[in-house]
Amino acid sequence: MATDTRVILICSGKGGVGKTTLTANLGISLARQGLTTAVLDADFGLRNLDLLLGLENRIVYTAQEVLEEECRLDQALVKHKQESNLSLLPAGNPRMLDWLKPDDMKRIVDMLKEQFNYVLIDCPAGVEDGFKNAMAASQEAIVVTNPEVSAVRDADRVIGLLNTNSIKPVQLVLNRVRPKMMANQEMLSINDVTDILALPLLGLVLEDEQIIVSTNRGEPLTLNSVNSPAAKCYLNIAKRLQGEDIPLIDPLKESSGFGAKFRRLMQTKIF
Amino acid sequence: MNSNNQKIIINIGDINDPKWKIGFKNKLKMLRSNNLEIDSENIDLSCKDISEIIEIVNQYDCKITGFCSSSPKTIVSSQSLGYKSQFSIENNSKNTSDANKKNLTFSKTHFHQGTVRSGEYLESPGNLLILGDVNPGAKVSAEGNIIIWGKLLGIAHAGTKGNSKATISALQLRPVQLRIAKKIARGPKEKPQLGHAEQAKIDSEEIIITPLLTTQFNS
Ligand SMILES: Nc1ncnc2c1ncn2[C@@H]1O[C@H](COP(=O)(O)OP(=O)(O)OP(=O)(O)O)[C@@H](O)[C@H]1O
Ligand SMILES: [Mg+2]
Repeated sequence: MATDTRVILICSGKGGVGKTTLTANLGISLARQGLTTAVLDADFGLRNLDLLLGLENRIVYTAQEVLEEECRLDQALVKHKQESNLSLLPAGNPRMLDWLKPDDMKRIVDMLKEQFNYVLIDCPAGVEDGFKNAMAASQEAIVVTNPEVSAVRDADRVIGLLNTNSIKPVQLVLNRVRPKMMANQEMLSINDVTDILALPLLGLVLEDEQIIVSTNRGEPLTLNSVNSPAAKCYLNIAKRLQGEDIPLIDPLKESSGFGAKFRRLMQTKIF
Repeated sequence: MNSNNQKIIINIGDINDPKWKIGFKNKLKMLRSNNLEIDSENIDLSCKDISEIIEIVNQYDCKITGFCSSSPKTIVSSQSLGYKSQFSIENNSKNTSDANKKNLTFSKTHFHQGTVRSGEYLESPGNLLILGDVNPGAKVSAEGNIIIWGKLLGIAHAGTKGNSKATISALQLRPVQLRIAKKIARGPKEKPQLGHAEQAKIDSEEIIITPLLTTQFNS
């Protein structure tokens, strides 16, 4: 039985910035470090964490049946084929949204806390009920954003809500970083984003085409393509979560030729 | 009885007192079907506390129009639940009515520490001093002056009740929009000079921005 389980909400405000991809890859990475990890799909409206993990065809029960006491938790949990430390608790059907309350989420998470070191909650986009329910059950949060004005604005809104609900710590992951665009000042710089959001940066994730391939295959990058640029980023994030002091990734080695510029783009200001 | 559109300010009492709900419910019983502004004085309320208050108020067929409090935490919580929220300045009289609010001068300054984030809204009936940034998407307003020890990137409105002498000062003044009394200006496009605090004020019917001189705070 795990005692000091960390319950982490993975949220963003804006949709499509990479929450589910982060949840899946972080789940795999933590599990590989020997940590028992549950990923909870709280996006009942548009569930797809099962898809990304390649577990869709093995779902029998969902969080819904657990809450309605039609099955036990361990019957609903889907263990990952390769990483046995990782389990998915699938989302129930979208109609759950009509009756689900913050206390229901808490009940589910309390059950998961008894068995796992980490509970990662894949949050739906937006700041409405789905987000509020998921937040009610969380202790800490990772806010995912992209180097785009609208994504940063929405992240800021979410951070305000997390702060007023005493979620701590709140850390930032900047996803879809394109060193070339940043160097050319076509994208917000890392400093631009951290300046506004005033959060500790847990990590950067590089833009990586292989993510699309891995999504389609239902195999997170960190599972079989550990040398791809984004996979390394996810692995580093998992290690930093565990308290390891890993410097931010140097895109020089990942996308050759941009190293010198990258150092500069840490400082450039654009708006 | 009060008519439905009359606004009543109700004090919730001390939420830390285990009996506060009873006292609060008793007050609501007398009011049934009214629009209420909740005054929480200096008590810190979380979103959870406020949700609880909303639930109680709904039981008595009342409607909350907004919150006022001298606790920044309460203001931010009620803001984030979508209620109009106003800073009140602590005064000795328990009975905070609109009438005695009017008697306050701008000499009172309200203090907020921390970043004001997108979607948040701070309002002060006096001056407003913010230690932190006002981010894009956030809005701050005051009947008096606004001083921001940080960056102003959102919207600021000073002199909301028409005082055209009001000013807006910030370490970096790069707002989306500035308002002083009835004047509106869009933020400057060019980047500010680093190392200069700046002040916006009305000069011959226009909002202008000038480097801030320390002596300007004395007036
Ligand atoms: N680092 C990256 N490089 C390239 N593509 C990425 C990256 N991260 C995410 N994507 C792509 O962006 C899309 C959205 O990702 P994902 O589903 O993880 O976002 P989300 O925040 O969970 O979205 P939603 O709000 O809809 O739940 C996917 O098609 C994914 O493949
Ligand atoms: Mg998703």
